[in-house]
Amino acid sequence: MMSKEREMMTKAEILELIAKSAREIIPGLEGHVFKESDQLSALGANSLDRAEITMMVQESLALTIPRVELSGAKNVGDLAELFLAKLKQA
Amino acid sequence: MNVFGGTAYLDVAELARHRKLDNARFENLLMKQKAVALPYEDPVTFAVNAAKPVVDALSSAEKDRIEMLITCTESGIDFGKSLSTYVHHCLGLNRNCRLFEIKQACYSGTAGFQMAVNFVLSRVSPGAKALIVATDISRFMVAEGGSALTEDWSFAEPSGGAGAVALLVSNRPHVFQVDVGANGYYGYEVMDTCRPMPDAEAGDADLSLLSYLDCCENAFLEYRKRVGGVHYRDSFQHLTFHTPFGGMVKGAHRTMMRKMVQAKPAEIEEDFHRRVVPGMSYCQRVGNIMGATVLLSLASTIDNAQLAGPSRVGCFSYGSGCCSEFYSGVVTPEGQARQRRFAIKSQLDGRYALSMEEYEAILRGSDGVKFGTRNVQPDIGFIAGAYESGRRKGRLYLREIKEFHREYEWSS
Repeated sequence: MMSKEREMMTKAEILELIAKSAREIIPGLEGHVFKESDQLSALGANSLDRAEITMMVQESLALTIPRVELSGAKNVGDLAELFLAKLKQA
Repeated sequence: MNVFGGTAYLDVAELARHRKLDNARFENLLMKQKAVALPYEDPVTFAVNAAKPVVDALSSAEKDRIEMLITCTESGIDFGKSLSTYVHHCLGLNRNCRLFEIKQACYSGTAGFQMAVNFVLSRVSPGAKALIVATDISRFMVAEGGSALTEDWSFAEPSGGAGAVALLVSNRPHVFQVDVGANGYYGYEVMDTCRPMPDAEAGDADLSLLSYLDCCENAFLEYRKRVGGVHYRDSFQHLTFHTPFGGMVKGAHRTMMRKMVQAKPAEIEEDFHRRVVPGMSYCQRVGNIMGATVLLSLASTIDNAQLAGPSRVGCFSYGSGCCSEFYSGVVTPEGQARQRRFAIKSQLDGRYALSMEEYEAILRGSDGVKFGTRNVQPDIGFIAGAYESGRRKGRLYLREIKEFHREYEWSS
């Protein structure tokens, strides 16, 4: 992804990336419509799954920052906000 | 090197049922048993019980050349006096010996090992040996409450173990020949898991996992940069990981294979079974023994690997807080045969199986030997079967704490 494109990303687009990665990792989420208040753990993702989902999104965004900077999100909306903030700094 | 994986153990599937942990999530831990410290066992008894067979295998002239004894632990019993002084006494080592302790969470064993390697390589005392003993126990008093503590912390109980690993480092390495200078280290400040109070642990399991993965990648990249021509899949016949629980290692291996080698799932699975699983066997039976875990995994790799000839083992060590390192060494079939003389697997097989009631009784009694205990005589008849099972093996146990001073005795 080009840096210009990255800067233009919206929260909805990042949420979609999170949803796409979550569907790949967690079986049974194919039909799930993601809301900002969704918690990955409540959807059946254990800590390893959550780490993997975060990494997949990070890779799609070509965002090279330490994983630990992406911890602490309470739900997928929070996580999308975190990614947005990191993209702005990148 | 030798491992002491406890006198008694608990079947952790039984514990998970008892605690009503989510079964699917428990299965992901890939844990089978955990060693449990009895009231008359402490980090010193674990350390000595691991080191004794190693020292006993030496001639008295060789034993006298142990000039450095480092204990590596996060289960210290005194802020000033180190465990190494007791270990030195119980093993009857030469007094011309440096005695001290190293702390950096689960990285401590590697820190001690690397210090010993550098001491031997420096040749400031040619022919001298160093004895490294990583020893950690968890008596399972978790710090309660606090918003940062995640529910996942309940999964720390089935994986938290007790044990010690002793290594003798010399200029004649038989078992594991260190690749000199092949070290990639990586550390920074992070508050993932810690022991902020004398007998309790606290942590954020998610953050710790992310930090572990960050380190796994960056320590290896630094190793690769320094060594040159290194390939994650082809340069190491086996991989050893710090193993808080098996599932974490599986996840880290998958991430590394995907990132470094662009491997597909089927290849990752095959590689995991061939290169990683031999090192997980002992860890699955002892539990997380913090500073000693990566060395426990290394012992497991050396004992259980199928070796056709000299093979390189890549080791990844991580300690919360944090510091990490990727390093390597070579093992041979001859070294493996030598290592197997310590019969670690049969030691583990011979442990006493605790019932859930006995385990709960041990937890309730943990207070009796907590940090800062001034006077106590632990009851060796507490779980009679457990003491009996170790008695004939000539094990060290804690007889008494008298005005803070610990007195030990060999069982007979």
